[in-house]
Amino acid sequence: MLIAQLTLNAIALGAAYALVAIGFVLVLNATTAVNFAHGESVVAGGFAAVALSGVISNIWPGAVPGIVLLPGVLALTAILGLAIAALAYLPIRNRPPVTVFVTTIAFGIIVTNGLNAGFGAGPRTVPALLGTGTIELLGITASRQSLAIITTTTVLIGVLTFLLQRTQLGRQFRACAQDPEIARALGIRLTRITLLGFALGTAFAGAAGLLLTHQFFVTPSDGASLILKAYIAVVIGGWGSLRGAALGALLIAIFEVAVASVSSQPLAEGLLYIAVLAVLFIRPEGIFGEPQRLRA
Amino acid sequence: MRFAGDRLPLLAGAGALAAYAIFFASSYDQRLLTVAGIYVIMVLGYQFIFGHAGALSLAQGAFFGVGAYVTGILGSQYDAGFLATFPLSVAVAATLALVVAAPVLRLASHYFALATLALSQLLLLIAVNWEPVTGGANGLPGVPPITIGDWRIARGLPLLAFVWGLAGAAMLIARWQLGPLRMAMFTVMRDTPLAVPAFGIDAGLLRLRAFLLSAAFGGAAGALFVHTNRVVSPETLGFGIMVTCLTMTVIGGRFRITGAVIGALLLTHLPEWFRGLDEYYLVAVGALLIAMVVFAPDGLASFITARTPAKPACLHAIPAKPDAPADRSSAPLAIDGVSISYGGIQALEGVGLKIGPGEIVGLIGPNGAGKTTLANIITGLDRPDAGFLRAGELNLGTATPTAITRHGVARTFQTPQLPDALTVRAAVATAAANIVANPDAHSYTDTVMTACHLAENADTPCGTLPHGVRRRVEIARALAGRPFFLVLDEPAAGLAPTEQNEVAAILRAQTAAGLAILVIDHNLDFLRPLARRLACLNGGHLIADGPTNEVLADTKVQSAYFGLVIQ
Repeated sequence: MLIAQLTLNAIALGAAYALVAIGFVLVLNATTAVNFAHGESVVAGGFAAVALSGVISNIWPGAVPGIVLLPGVLALTAILGLAIAALAYLPIRNRPPVTVFVTTIAFGIIVTNGLNAGFGAGPRTVPALLGTGTIELLGITASRQSLAIITTTTVLIGVLTFLLQRTQLGRQFRACAQDPEIARALGIRLTRITLLGFALGTAFAGAAGLLLTHQFFVTPSDGASLILKAYIAVVIGGWGSLRGAALGALLIAIFEVAVASVSSQPLAEGLLYIAVLAVLFIRPEGIFGEPQRLRA
Repeated sequence: MRFAGDRLPLLAGAGALAAYAIFFASSYDQRLLTVAGIYVIMVLGYQFIFGHAGALSLAQGAFFGVGAYVTGILGSQYDAGFLATFPLSVAVAATLALVVAAPVLRLASHYFALATLALSQLLLLIAVNWEPVTGGANGLPGVPPITIGDWRIARGLPLLAFVWGLAGAAMLIARWQLGPLRMAMFTVMRDTPLAVPAFGIDAGLLRLRAFLLSAAFGGAAGALFVHTNRVVSPETLGFGIMVTCLTMTVIGGRFRITGAVIGALLLTHLPEWFRGLDEYYLVAVGALLIAMVVFAPDGLASFITARTPAKPACLHAIPAKPDAPADRSSAPLAIDGVSISYGGIQALEGVGLKIGPGEIVGLIGPNGAGKTTLANIITGLDRPDAGFLRAGELNLGTATPTAITRHGVARTFQTPQLPDALTVRAAVATAAANIVANPDAHSYTDTVMTACHLAENADTPCGTLPHGVRRRVEIARALAGRPFFLVLDEPAAGLAPTEQNEVAAILRAQTAAGLAILVIDHNLDFLRPLARRLACLNGGHLIADGPTNEVLADTKVQSAYFGLVIQ
């Protein structure tokens, strides 16, 4: 019984992490750039939800279900993504990759400290997505929040899959991810795809912020550990693979919930970092990744 | 004269700073300057790994924190003096770097950043949660001031002078570590990573040096920081310190000692000058950081003195390597049964080839036949799935690419791999100094440049050379290591007929001394007069090997080359 509930919690946490990791890979595929402001985008999504729920409860007193905030959070963080692209990526797209790390770290500093100044350094929370409490489902006691997180994530990933597989824009996006030079030669406008990648990727991070904030709270300085988890998920899943990223995120969540249930959260996190160092040592290309070859 | 002209603004700046510190600064100002001096040491260390080695380490804050905790714990709990705690802080930080270097240092750019970030977060977790030793989230108060024997360094001017004295020592160490040759090696590693083994550079060793130096400097800075603050807390391990260090390095400049000083002084004083911004100060710092990266990527230091490329004259002082001379074996290349597959594609299958001293062999074949793959296998960039490969006494199947180059097997690349910032002479001399085992590396550099008709281009940066000259610099770089066997990957591609003849003449002259050459090319007008023997690859198989005219008359070769006009 306990195992079943823990599993459900782990899947819910993994679903939220999967959104973060998928968002990270979307930016990666659109640009080959690593967006270090991605963790702060999750945090920004959490605070966008905090702010929106404040606004809505002013107009409409009473408890607002968190799911109502989702469209607003997606829109605000998509705009944030466009800002990251315009300020921290496009001006330096032709420079060495380390340059993009630095500008996106700088953008993260701006977001963290902007939120710190606006909301204060303390933890904040938002209403549950569709109410709190538990429901009986197939004989197990399931938390409504966990079920709502899993459902929301499934819908978002479904929409993304449709977008990438069935629309012309999605096909162009995948073409750019595979070979930007050929894609450009085919007349695909790379800048448009770049902006799309940042907007979609950051919106996914923002959605994850909304999903995580009710249970785990959000503080402006949470970005570093979140980017690290997204990163670890992507490394486990194979650099650049959307499916791998989601799978990696799920594994991280299961690991965290399992270790935390028998010991403590800090130990779970510490072991995760040791595990990632070990993975990088044994298989630098990731667990499911293909080794890449250099071409002279 | 030149010395005075170059150094005058810096000396004047240092003098003005000293005068300000002694005569005008309040005790609060002196404290700020002390902290700035500490950050100078940290940034100087960070420049090694982030600037010179070009790797984004996010562990500099971690090394700072480790140095801080070693001094903090030993000083506050065990009353240990500075002479014990300071060297220990440096040593523990460097040891930590050495321990994590094995899994971390060989990782490519973003993986390296991730791994160093994971290390930092891990140490922060330990500091916060290992309360009996670290004091947990509150840290440990009661860190003593710096005491050496009976000499107790008071706050204010004495501490300020002591810290800046150590910062001066750090600058001297940085200068000593960054001589012209090492700067050139770092440039090669940053600009042309693929060609690092071709220059005979051991990239792993070079990165390790940079990482250890960065950690040692970081540990030293952390130790001084807790002596100044008199407490040690998890804040010293936090991401904030790392970000401060990164910001100082980017704003001051990644490569120069003056950059470290400017960045540290500026970033410690900016919050004072912009008090009006309040909580938004760090937002402004983030914006400034982006602006600097976009508009002035080499930092403020680049405005003070223009960056002078390593003077070739300095490279003449390169000490020789005491290694044995290259292997002058009677069998420069002997391979047999070499196979390799990528994914499902068999790129080479059962390829055998022998080349004797002084022999030039042309390797032809359609695109995708496996020609470059063979060159990569011979020079250690790819590992064969099966087969026997020897160059003289060396087993090419197991030796590292750098070891292969140093043994006497040189190569050029299809696309010339030359660092834009180095002059021709510096590029050739860097290869000579890293590969050759003789005490006259510099005069040999001149000989090679003359042989390759590069004398008049000697002081031109590689980045500004026309394509034809770059090809010859590639050949000079390869010859600088006095190889007994040379692999050329399309040396005539993109060259005019006169330039092709020039290259052919250079190569022919080298074979007189016994150099064996394998030339990959499509261009038969270039190959036919150059190579008396041809080998032809098709679909990963060696389909012909013999005298040039016979191979060209072979029907299998002609059908593989279907569409190619053979007069």
